[in-house]
Amino acid sequence: MLAERGAAVRPISGGTDVMVMIKDGVLKEKELLDLSRLEELRYIKEDGELIRIGARTTYREVERSPVINAYAPILVEASKTIGSVQIQNLGTIAGNLGNASPAADSVPSLYVLEARVKLASVNSEREVGIGEFFLGPRKTVRRPDELITEVSFRKMEPGSHFFFKKLGLRSANAISIVSAAGILKLSNGKIDWLRLALGAVAPTVIRSPTAEERARGAELNEDSIRAIAEGASTDARPITDIRGTAEYRKKAVFGLVYEALYEIMSGSGKRVVFGLEGRG
Amino acid sequence: MTQETYELYRYLNRSIPRLDSEQKVRGELKYLTDVYPEGMLHGYVLRSTVAHARILEISTEEAERAPGIRAVLTYKDIPGINGYGAIVPEIPVLAYERVRYYGEPLALIAADSMEQAKAAAEMIKVRLEPLPAVLDVDEAMAEKVKIHDKGNVARHTVVKRGDVSKAEAQAHLVLERTYRTPMQKHMFIEPEGGYAYVDGSGVVHVLAGGQSPYRDKLQISRVLGISPEMIRVKNYPTGGAFGGKDDATVQIHLALLAYRTRKPVRLAWTREESGIAGYHRTASKITIRTAVDREGRLLSNSAKIVLDSGAYQSFGPTILDVSIETINGPYRVPSYLIDAYLVYTNNGIASAFRGFGAPESNFAIESMMNELAAELGIDPVEIRLRNILRTGEEGPFGNVIRNSAGLEEALNRARSSGIWRRANGSGWIKEGVGVAVAIKGVGFGTLPDYPSAAVEVIPEGKVRVMFTNPDYGQGVITGIAQLAAERLQIPVSEIEVINADTMHSPDTGSSSASRTTLTAGSAVVQAIDEALSKLRVEAASSFGASSSEVQYSGGRFMYRDRSVTIYELARRLRQKGRSLRFEATFEVPRYPEPVEGTLEVPHMMYMYGVALVRAGVDALLGKVNVKEVEFYADIGNVINPSIASGQVEGGVVQGLGYATIEEYRYSDDGRPLNINFTTYVVPTARDSPEMYVEFVKSYDELGPYGAKGVGEIGIIPVGAALAEAVYRATGKRIRDLPITPWKLV
Ligand SMILES: Cc1cc2nc3c(=O)[nH]c(=O)nc-3n(C[C@H](O)[C@H](O)[C@H](O)COP(=O)(O)OP(=O)(O)OC[C@H]3O[C@@H](n4cnc5c(N)ncnc54)[C@H](O)[C@@H]3O)c2cc1C
Repeated sequence: MLAERGAAVRPISGGTDVMVMIKDGVLKEKELLDLSRLEELRYIKEDGELIRIGARTTYREVERSPVINAYAPILVEASKTIGSVQIQNLGTIAGNLGNASPAADSVPSLYVLEARVKLASVNSEREVGIGEFFLGPRKTVRRPDELITEVSFRKMEPGSHFFFKKLGLRSANAISIVSAAGILKLSNGKIDWLRLALGAVAPTVIRSPTAEERARGAELNEDSIRAIAEGASTDARPITDIRGTAEYRKKAVFGLVYEALYEIMSGSGKRVVFGLEGRG
Repeated sequence: MTQETYELYRYLNRSIPRLDSEQKVRGELKYLTDVYPEGMLHGYVLRSTVAHARILEISTEEAERAPGIRAVLTYKDIPGINGYGAIVPEIPVLAYERVRYYGEPLALIAADSMEQAKAAAEMIKVRLEPLPAVLDVDEAMAEKVKIHDKGNVARHTVVKRGDVSKAEAQAHLVLERTYRTPMQKHMFIEPEGGYAYVDGSGVVHVLAGGQSPYRDKLQISRVLGISPEMIRVKNYPTGGAFGGKDDATVQIHLALLAYRTRKPVRLAWTREESGIAGYHRTASKITIRTAVDREGRLLSNSAKIVLDSGAYQSFGPTILDVSIETINGPYRVPSYLIDAYLVYTNNGIASAFRGFGAPESNFAIESMMNELAAELGIDPVEIRLRNILRTGEEGPFGNVIRNSAGLEEALNRARSSGIWRRANGSGWIKEGVGVAVAIKGVGFGTLPDYPSAAVEVIPEGKVRVMFTNPDYGQGVITGIAQLAAERLQIPVSEIEVINADTMHSPDTGSSSASRTTLTAGSAVVQAIDEALSKLRVEAASSFGASSSEVQYSGGRFMYRDRSVTIYELARRLRQKGRSLRFEATFEVPRYPEPVEGTLEVPHMMYMYGVALVRAGVDALLGKVNVKEVEFYADIGNVINPSIASGQVEGGVVQGLGYATIEEYRYSDDGRPLNINFTTYVVPTARDSPEMYVEFVKSYDELGPYGAKGVGEIGIIPVGAALAEAVYRATGKRIRDLPITPWKLV
């Protein structure tokens, strides 16, 4: 179906974006391709150092998966912030990718997990890095004849710290004004590396090179936290819309990153402990 | 009222479940928009997509010939008056000559299918000459662009007493501040809609969500040019209203389409249509200057109140009155000067919304009281205790305060609350507690108000209670059933309510102004007394006794060792062919004349409330997190504590939305921007703080069994209390709602 007339067909998975588009009358395609019964794409697999998540896996399944809780708890954090329980029961990570909103809440975590997205058509299969997958708001490299079949990433390092912070106008069913995901490796009070991604501050989710650069080798203290958070704010290129002004978004990026790192410094942040997710 | 008599009630002061909650929980209750009558046509409204324009042409010929089209109506097809509006019938039913807001209806279509209706709408030729959109009240008052030929000020009035400049000259401190509040959307669960049909005898039936069936009926009759007798309106059940269904929404359009096509027609707005064309709360800009002595006692109050009415008036004139009445708070204000304006803009149509002008003015006066307290170094509860009117005193509008003990007690409860000690932020989270008080009149002030109700004793063992104040989720039918049960001394299960249907009930008026308990409650009690006095005579005659010798208790009349139930008496009356229906009209107590310059100020009955809000502010993100709200209220005797608390809690959360995230907005060219739940966000259950609601003991002898009203009190003081909490937390005074994060960083 996709191979023959891909451009005229819209895949629908959980439908939590597609149904809204249909209702708003903005869906261009005349036909839907229902993926909801593709049970073979509903999986979470451990594959050596890799975790593979099938395209039909819902947020709820991610949240409940022992494998994700053990090796990629940042994705659990992120999944819990998506919409509400009803949305988490239906929505999929692949759908979040396919929808390609700069405010998508699973995507910053996938950026810092340096995930890869598998795209398959009737006679081809390829994998692209998450950073290359998105071209802009609602635009991806997916060809009309392809489906997203899987997202994969390496297990998080034991002992690494992580966070996903989302700022919305309310506590459920809120679209992010800004969001930030980070994984940080500390040794002896020094930052080995930080991977930091920001949502809703550019046409796609972005990594923050300035913040990551400032973090490398720095002591984790109030000064460095401030410098890193300022770096993130500099890298943000937000717009003004109904959910917030550009100026505010830049300040909020600073706030989110500062608070997240401060929590890690003061021992109240989250940390990867294989087998179970632990604190401090 | 003593403690003992409280405990004598059998059916009052009791939290019985709502009579319709089981049906609602099971999903069995059908709103009127859930009904799809057989053989119905689909109604559709073609709306303007510009905010302000001269209409050059609307041609419907092609659309009329389109497949499946049964009617295409423009202003030319209106048999009666092309105008409606609760106060002044100036809102065009269908646009004529001018378009004054984005979404204004241009034409109505009835078709066999919705697709056909929409296709036909595309074929209607509309030529408009755009005019500049005026979206700001100051710009409107400059009168450069006239929205109406008569000018942009719909109503201007000055209300005054004493000599303000003299008071200010003698004052220890005079503060002047400008406060603003935004437009707010009702966002009820059921958008505006319903259906209509014409029966064999030519009666036009309109069944649609609404708040005022008899006013709807009257407005429809004027537009159709037929007698109100030929119209029936039913409003029950309605899925939320909050004032947004008080004036007509779909009713007139439905009636026009059914009247023209003689077929059942369904017309239901989508959420987005409701977002575009539904009503909203007036935005306000209030500059207030208040003078106090050293101890914080008010000497004078001046205010310039400007309310944004939008393109037409709807309830604007009386909303302005309530904002005038509210601007002096529940305080002793020796002299005041209130300069009040209701201004036209191209921002949709502002209309009733819970509180009706009170939340707007309350934000100004209560923020001012908090600012004065801070300037003077007086505790914010204390400054209020020094200024509130006490029982027997004359209020600023010449009304004698009959009973204010409740407010004083509420303030004392608030002062001793533990909440003050619980504000303990740390790090970047700053916490503060704020207070504000509210006063709100119950009913229509000095406007004549004669609500009627009826009861019918059914021999099979039920008493049917009929009144028209719609229950749109507030629990009215339950509260009134409890009052009826109490009066009759029979279980609530024997009461059957017929609500909001002009076919069955006399006119009890609208569900608005927190008046339903007073109006329906009093009229029903009176109708029951009427019934009991008639039945008593009947009982006496059967006993061969005089009626004064007959006792009544628990649904039976007794004389010596004999007794007869009201149902048995009803059976006998029915056999004699006599009516079992008893009707009564209540006269709402009021002052004979309004204060000069007003339409309906003052009221005789007031509710009071004190809100305490504890909020945390994330100093880096500017995000306000409301932790806890305590609300002490005087609502008179409480008929159903759980429903009453629910009203306060719901009002508080709606007030928190208003104070933090809700703001209905227009683009620079007058297109509404946030018209659905994705873009117009309201608080969710997760955003609701811990809440504690307490009703202080109170009894108002003007109300049924001492009850007053409750619907509006919760929302009114929330904005000012939250702004004060934020100030205590951060040192920042926010004078324009909502308190969005970007105002705090
Ligand atoms: C009330 C509500 C709240 C929400 N809250 C949030 C939130 O907090 N954070 C957030 O990020 N999002 C939120 N969303 C958006 C949405 O839930 C997410 O984007 C979700 O991940 C979409 O997944 P889905 O399976 O429902 O996608 P669908 O709606 O089925 O599809 C979304 C898009 O992805 C494409 N697609 C889906 N699967 C594939 C596939 N296998 N291959 C190729 N293309 C595919 C579809 O064609 C479509 O373009 C919310 C939505 C609603 C309605």
